Formats: sequence, C-alpha cells, structure tokens
Amino acid sequence: MLQAINLSKKFKTKEVVKQVNMEMPAGESIGLIGPNGAGKSTTISMLSSLIIPTSGEVLWDGKSITKDPDPLRKKLGVVPQEIALYPELSARENLAFFGRIYGLKGELLETRITEVLMKIGLSDRQRDIVKTFSGGMKRRLNIGAALLHRPSILIMDEPTVGIDPQSRAYILETVKQFVEEGMSLLYTSHYMEEVELLCDKVYIMDQGEIIAYGTKEELKELVSSNQTIELRVNLVNANFEKALTNQLPTAIVRTEEELLTISMPKNEEPLATIFAIAAENNVVITAAIVKVPSLEDVFLHLTGKALRD
Amino acid sequence: MLFTLILKQLKMLSRNKQPLIILLVMPLVLITILSNALGSIMDGEEEQAIQANLVIIDDSSWDQEKDAIVNFLQQQGLTGPALESLLLQFEKNDPAHILKNNILNSDEIKKYIKVEDKQKADMETLREDMKIDGILRIPANFRLDYIETAYFNKQKLLDLSLYLNQENEIRASIISSILTEWQSEYTKFLALSNAGVSPEQILNNQTSVEKIEQVLEANERKIPASIYYTVGMLVMFALYIPSFLAGFALQEVQWKVYDRILLAGVSPTWYTLSIFITGSLVAFIQQIIMLLFGRFALGIDWININAMIITIVSFSVFIGSLSALLTTLQFRTKTDGIANLFNGLVITVFSFLGGSFFSIRDLSETLGKIGDFTPNGATMSAILSIQKGQDLSVIWPFMTVIYVLVIICILLSIVFFPRRGVAE
Ligand SMILES: Nc1ncnc2c1ncn2[C@@H]1O[C@H](COP(=O)(O)OP(=O)(O)OP(=O)(O)O)[C@@H](O)[C@H]1O
Ligand SMILES: [Mg+2]
Repeated sequence: MLQAINLSKKFKTKEVVKQVNMEMPAGESIGLIGPNGAGKSTTISMLSSLIIPTSGEVLWDGKSITKDPDPLRKKLGVVPQEIALYPELSARENLAFFGRIYGLKGELLETRITEVLMKIGLSDRQRDIVKTFSGGMKRRLNIGAALLHRPSILIMDEPTVGIDPQSRAYILETVKQFVEEGMSLLYTSHYMEEVELLCDKVYIMDQGEIIAYGTKEELKELVSSNQTIELRVNLVNANFEKALTNQLPTAIVRTEEELLTISMPKNEEPLATIFAIAAENNVVITAAIVKVPSLEDVFLHLTGKALRD
Repeated sequence: MLFTLILKQLKMLSRNKQPLIILLVMPLVLITILSNALGSIMDGEEEQAIQANLVIIDDSSWDQEKDAIVNFLQQQGLTGPALESLLLQFEKNDPAHILKNNILNSDEIKKYIKVEDKQKADMETLREDMKIDGILRIPANFRLDYIETAYFNKQKLLDLSLYLNQENEIRASIISSILTEWQSEYTKFLALSNAGVSPEQILNNQTSVEKIEQVLEANERKIPASIYYTVGMLVMFALYIPSFLAGFALQEVQWKVYDRILLAGVSPTWYTLSIFITGSLVAFIQQIIMLLFGRFALGIDWININAMIITIVSFSVFIGSLSALLTTLQFRTKTDGIANLFNGLVITVFSFLGGSFFSIRDLSETLGKIGDFTPNGATMSAILSIQKGQDLSVIWPFMTVIYVLVIICILLSIVFFPRRGVAE
C-alpha cells in the first residue's frame, strides 16, 4: 500500500500541495481529479519519489520512501504527463532502453518488449522513429515505456490528453485490462468519464487541497440534493447569464459555447423562470435537459468551477 | 547499465544532424581550407624546405675507373682470385656508390632530399639555377684515389667539391648534414687505414644509413600548415562535445526521461559517470578521425604514435570531465545558458589563446604562455612538439596541465551536483 501522510510542497514561498492525505491499497484503482494547476502532478511526483516533500511523508508498505526509495521504485510504473521518450530513437529502441535501465536483458527483454508493443498496439510501427509518430501513438508508447518491468502499481498522469477519441478509447480499454489483471492504479485526468470508467475511489483536488474523497457513489451523494439543467441556446448573451445568476441566487451557471449548465438545489423548480428570462433577453432555448448528477457536477458543486478551462 | 546509457548517448549524437556537422564536417572542411589557403602564406618557401634539391655531377664511374684500379692493384702485387675478390669488395664499398645507392636511396632520406644525377655538366650554369640547393662534384679519378688512400696508405687528395646555395638555409643544411655524415663515414675508413688496419677489417666496419637518418630526425621537423591546422581544429572542435552532451542531458530533464531514468534506480552519479565516459569516447573517436583525415587526405605522416596516443587520450579524458561539469551546471541552473556561454565565448577565447587559428606566440610570448594553460592549447603544444620530432618527455608539462584541469572539473561537478534532485 502507498500512503501520503500530511503531504505538503512549497516551491519557494508558493504552497502548491497542502496537507494531502491519500491511500492506495494494493489492487485498487484510485482517481485523482482537479483543474489545471491543482497540484496533481506535484503530488504524483512526491508519491513516486521524484521530488522531496516540504513536509509530510510518503509510506510504501509502512516505510518512508524518502530515505530508501528503491523498494517502491522497483514495483512502480509511472506514466508522466509529458511525452517522456527519445524522439530520435525508434519505438523499439526506446522500450529497449527503458527495459535495460531496469536491468532487463537478452531473451527476457525481447519478450517483454514484444509483449508491451502488443498491448499498446504498436507492433507494426516498432522500427519507426518516434518523431514520426502521431500524438496518440506517442501517448501509447509513453504508457508502454512504464510497463516493461511489470510494475504492480501504476501511476498515470493525464495519459490521454490531446488525442483523438479512438486512441483514447483504445488506451482506456488497455488500462482497464491492467486493473482487471490486479494492478494498483492511480489515475489522473481532467476527464470525469475516464475516472468514472476506471476508478473505484476518487480524490478531488483543488488549489493544492483534497476537497473531497470517496467512492463514486459516495461523491455523487454529495450532490444528490442538486440538479443540473443543461440548456442549448442559439446565441449566448451576457445579459442572459447575468439575469440568471441574479434571479436564481442558489444556482451555479457556466457557459461553454452554446451550452449552458445550471447547477442548483433539487427542491426548486426553475424551468419556468429560466424560460421567462430567456424571452426577456431574446434568447431562444433550443433544448433543455434536467440531468442526474455526474462526477463533473460534483466537481462543479464543490469548487464552483469547471474541471476544464 | 553504464553501457546502456553510453550507447543511448551515442545514438542521440549520431541521429542529430547538428552534432555531426559541428563535430565532424566543420573541422574537416576547415582543416582542408586552412591548410590549403593559408598553407601557401604560412609555409612560404619552407614547405619546399622539407625537400632539398641536390645535383651530383659524377665525372667518373666505377666502370671508367675499373681498368686503372686493376692496374694499380696489380702494381701492388695482387693477382688472380685475391685481386678479384678485393675488387668486388671495393666496388661495393665505393663511397660514391654508397652515397648514391644506399644513403640517398633510403626511403627516409628521400623525403628530405631529391637527387639528380648528372655527368660532365657545367657547374657554373647549374649554379644559376635557383631551384638547386646543392651541387656535389665527384672528380674524375675519385674512386682510384680513394682506394689508394683508404686501403694502401697513399696520401692522395680527395678533391670533392660541394657547392651549397645559401638562398635557403634549411635546405642547404639538410644537404650539408647528409654529406657531412657521409664524409665522416668514409674518412673514418681513412683513419682506420692510417692506423694500420687491414683493408679486410675496414670493410667489415659497415657504413650505416640509419645513422644519417637519425641525424636527420634529430633535426627538428618543420611543422607545415597541414599539420598545424589539423591539430588546431582537432583540439578546438573537441571542445564542442561537452555542450552537446550537457544539452542532451538538459533535454532529458525537460522531456522527463530523466525522471524515468531515476525511477529505474539509476543514481545521478552513474548517470554523470556515463556522460563522462561518453564525452571521452566521442572526443577520442573524433580526434582519431581528424588524424586519419590528415594522414590520408593531406598526406601527413604522424610520428611518435605512442606519444600521440597518450596526448589525445588525456585530452579526451579532459573533454569527458568537462562534459560532466557542464551537465552538472545545467542541471543546477536548469537552463542551457552555461553551455551557450561556453560555446559562444569560452571556446573562441580558448581557441585563440591555444593557437588554433594562428600561432599566438608570434604575437606575444606571454599570450602564448597563457595559451599553454588552456586544455586545447596544452594539447596542441604537446602534439606539435611531438611532430617536431621531440622526445616523449616534452609532453609531460602539458599533460600535467590537462590532468590538473581534469581534477578541477571533477571536483566542481561533485560540489555543484544538485543534491536535492533535478526534478524541482
Ligand atoms: N518546479 C516548480 N517550480 C515552481 N512551481 C511549480 C513547479 N512545478 C509546479 N509548480 C506550480 O505548482 C502548481 C501545481 O502544478 P501541478 O503541475 O502539480 O498541477 P496539475 O494539477 O498537475 O495541473 P495540470 O492539470 O495542468 O497538469 C502550479 O501552479 C505550478 O505552476
Ligand atoms: Mg499535471
């Protein structure tokens, strides 16, 4: 089990991680979500022994990793947020290098490479130079490079950013398989649906703090007293938005192009008011849906802001 | 582990165009341009000084004098097989024959002297030819006179005449040193003969071509432009290796591959050691390529290979330690500022002081002395001294400079290594 105890990190005077407590029991898959700059990557770096906490401890099977990170490192696979690969080397050469520094060699190394290439679906491109790969292919290889030594615990920092839905589905499917095979997982993402798909338990982080934690169901309970109304409008209008916030004081409103999301207590019946305000401001509502809560709504509820910019 | 890291660094170097261009193409192009374009200015007439032109006017020949010699031997009471065998020995030990066929025909000596054999030419007209550095005239009855003097104790005057064109002292001195050595060999015969040693014993005392070769080698070789610039560029362009390696290392940190390397349990010490070894290895290979280019493209004959190897290995070790230091400093500052400063300013100043572009000593003795304390300057001075034909021992002061610098680089790397990790 990997544990964070009162973990804090200051860069100069800026405290970017504050008193974080986390637990990753063996065989479980944990999600870590939060907006840009929340401190997710910094937390992950501390958990994986790459940076030293300003205060607090990281324990691996009860022992501090600050003094001796090796037992953890042997079991740990980290997929960094960045593409951490050698662009001038081929896919196979990259894997061979990362395998070798873990002490793999000869026959064993070759079979592991072939195995990983299969898993990430790059067998047919293994001899190509990474520079020539598409974003999705690089992402897949970035994951593969963390798997050669067969880690029992895998930490993935936003492994799907910037890739097309098809590659994304492929990666998620692969990761899901790892979890089913019994690997412990810490998965960071901006995409709630990914976390919903993969993780049993979720930590929500904002401005360096863990603001909520629980199983998906527990978290949704937090907002079960809430309702979310999605409006599709033909023209967004600042006055309309302002009027909504003024006349519905309990609501949290956010706009994303033609989509307006209103989150507010369940006991109110706002639809009539909303349509009236729309008419006043010459806004045509083309569709309106009242939704069951998602993790996204939990997040919105807790932080008052969207998960993605 | 170390091997894996080194191999990866070599791959990174070889798959990027820029290092290949700067580390190999540029120096080779510059060597070619500098040694050809500046060669004529720098070497001037001295390039030809390496090879002196000697004309030998032989007014006689063994065959022409043979009858007279046989006659003389018969007068001395020699006949039959005794006369025949002595005649054969004399022919073989004829100083004119030895000079032309043994001494001047040796490969080593041919490099320094070009011989033209003439018979019955007019010395006066030849003297006007400024291309000729020396004229040796062997008089008509030289062989007979020599035999009489050397083996039969008759004091004949051996009237050799040597004219040296003093226009070019170096070329003239090559000729005179060869001929002096030759003369002293055969006058030794004369001395032995005067001391009453028999002809047979004198003949066993063989003339040695090697001795003359040694005399020539002891004369300092002139350093032609080709050698000068090959060495100048070789030491200068090796200095670009550290910033490439440090740049790659910084890239590894920025790309987060360095995190992966750390997570795999590779310690920063091993990582830095791998850069040290890669730097040394690449520098060694680069220098060998330059030397081979000099050998095959410019026809340079590198002498004293052992001393050369010691020198370039030492300089390679320095390049390795500098690579480690620059890497450490970049890790600490997390920018490529230091490598850029090094490439932009330090290499230029060092190359200037070290004499890569022209001999700084000609400008100022003090600057020249300072230059010998730069790693490239020390290496260049060491190699040039070796190529002048000096002993191995001349390189030790320069090697001391190099290894002191190696130790300084290593100590600074240890002091500056970011202990708290590079990731922060
Ligand atoms: N090495 C560093 N030095 C100074 N500040 C840093 C450093 N690394 C991160 N930060 C700051 O710490 C904060 C948290 O960064 P972090 O990368 O952990 O966020 P994140 O949650 O991973 O964000 P994202 O979703 O964009 O990846 C940011 O404000 C960032 O600017
Ligand atoms: Mg991040």
